[in-house]
Amino acid sequence: MSLSKNQINVPDIPSPYLSRLAKIERVSRLTEKERLFKIALEDKKPLGHAPGQFVMLCIPGYGEAPISISSPPDRNNMFEICVRAVGNLTNALHNLMKGDRLWIRGPYGKTFPIENLKHKDLLFIAGGIGLVPMRSLIKAVLAERPSYGRINLLYGVKNPEEILFKDELSQWQQGSNINTIITIDKPHPAWKGHTGVVTTLLPPLKIDETRTVAIVVGPPVMYKYVIMSLGDKRIAGHDIYLSLERRMKCGLGKCGHCQINSVYVCQEGPVFRLSDIRYLREAI
Amino acid sequence: MEYRFLSKKEIASFVTGLLKDFKVYGPVKKDGFSLYAEIASPKDLNLLHTPTHLSPKQYLFPPKETLLTFKNGENPAMEPVVEANNQVLFGVHPCDIHAIRLLDRVFSYGPSDVNYIKRREKTLIAGIDCIPDKYCFCKSVNTMNVDSGFDIFLHPLRGLNRKNNRTTNQLDNLDRQTFNWGHDMNAGFLVEIGTQRGKDLLHKYTKTRKATAKEIKKIAEFKDKKAELFAASINVEASSLPLIYSGSYNSPVWEKVGKICYGCGSCNNVCPTCYCFDVRDNIQANLTEGERYRVWDACLLEDFAKVAGGHNFRKTRAERLRHRFNRKFQYQVDKFGGLFCVGCGRCNRTCLVNINIVEVTNELIEESNKRS
Repeated sequence: MSLSKNQINVPDIPSPYLSRLAKIERVSRLTEKERLFKIALEDKKPLGHAPGQFVMLCIPGYGEAPISISSPPDRNNMFEICVRAVGNLTNALHNLMKGDRLWIRGPYGKTFPIENLKHKDLLFIAGGIGLVPMRSLIKAVLAERPSYGRINLLYGVKNPEEILFKDELSQWQQGSNINTIITIDKPHPAWKGHTGVVTTLLPPLKIDETRTVAIVVGPPVMYKYVIMSLGDKRIAGHDIYLSLERRMKCGLGKCGHCQINSVYVCQEGPVFRLSDIRYLREAI
Repeated sequence: MEYRFLSKKEIASFVTGLLKDFKVYGPVKKDGFSLYAEIASPKDLNLLHTPTHLSPKQYLFPPKETLLTFKNGENPAMEPVVEANNQVLFGVHPCDIHAIRLLDRVFSYGPSDVNYIKRREKTLIAGIDCIPDKYCFCKSVNTMNVDSGFDIFLHPLRGLNRKNNRTTNQLDNLDRQTFNWGHDMNAGFLVEIGTQRGKDLLHKYTKTRKATAKEIKKIAEFKDKKAELFAASINVEASSLPLIYSGSYNSPVWEKVGKICYGCGSCNNVCPTCYCFDVRDNIQANLTEGERYRVWDACLLEDFAKVAGGHNFRKTRAERLRHRFNRKFQYQVDKFGGLFCVGCGRCNRTCLVNINIVEVTNELIEESNKRS
């Protein structure tokens, strides 16, 4: 690259744009569009994340994108991401194989408040690939299953082929006592379970609103309706956590793409308490 | 506050001295336009400038800048790149100094932006006082005067001896020539010392003498006269603007202005406090080496808030325009303190369809008065 002769490298303040080299340890095809990548950081140090956070993933030449972390916190240098191929970078990622290198910086963002969830009943509501960041939290919760009360997981997808982590879902249901209900948007010949959007699962569900915390992750269009349904169940806005998706270019509270009014989602989110953003215009 | 007298002759020797050790950027006139450029001689300077097309922001936060270089292959590597030269921004107006102070807060907030911070450390700012053109409205947003953020600041000593009493709304660029300062610098400048670094450089490159009390009094006279010259003004105290904007979220004004807005982002590009950017990669044809760089982005552009799945959080031009205006008067105020509009008038001068931030704000104020 041609750089001006006045270029200097500054060692005293590290550039926040610098990434860590990583290697793909394993690729699993979950659906036609989604793949799960197990990634190992080459510096052998842990990522140091908590559930709800994201990384900026980089393939040099294709750029960077914010990607949710899908595995629970771990002391080793590995973590998992589940990525849908929708753009240049994510399509390039889908072409990578075991042993290929990529770059990671982060983790960034606020986490799910796992301490506030202890001894509560948990109501997980996921739409589509919203299950990806939620899986990090679910797995962290299951590591200490006795510390939590009843757990419900409501999961809505467009059609049966899009169900992610099928084996894990049934494992959680049977082995860990999570009441899991999956619904698909429209009837499908191969589907014998629930049909309809995810909010249709809520009215018949028995919950104790005084000890339930809801965690909601899904596409932008889903939040408004889920929040209304949770209101019908008398769950306080204080006890509802959401993870908001926004365009991000830096992850550092600078580039402006993720801004909602005065809030930078990359720094103050992506996890928010509903009562903190219910009146934040353009948030939901 | 320390003031030194700098004669017309000495200002040339000062700039000549600076040019030996620094890259010097200052206001020049090119093809009839007032803009900032690197200068090679004090003669290049046009200190009687109307606000320049782009602000000096471009030398602290360049339109395009490399953040790092990378290498693919067997031994992948990534090297940070920080380009920072010793540089002087000469002849910076008070509004633009205020803007730089805001950018300083933005780029040192959270994880420090090393590219900006390092460049800023190596930058010396020599401000200069000015007179408004018909778009300027710094008086309305309290940025007409500046008391810090510069290393030195030049006060024109012989101020505003207008040849006849023109009314302010007749004021245009041509009329500025009739103001008797800068262009005729025989009277010289009073230099306000902002930092030790500024004082040392002044001492190193030129001769100054202590200003007399009589001369110092002239600064206030100049400012008083300047304050009378504004044709454009916002009709409330600046401090009430965040609340007015907050209450105007559902105003029909946004729809109305959004209908004529092209969504071109010109206002973003010329704004001295807009700092949003995009990050992109450039890879060489051998596919092994490349750079990651950032470029100015604009929240008025359609894709600015669009996510990969296709959802656009600010789909309409009205929404994007409202977002930009609110960033100036409400959102960034909550985050960083201080209005993010410094009243330079650049967006109004530049807008292809004459959307005017002062007029829109006054409309919102009028509506707000009707509501209460």
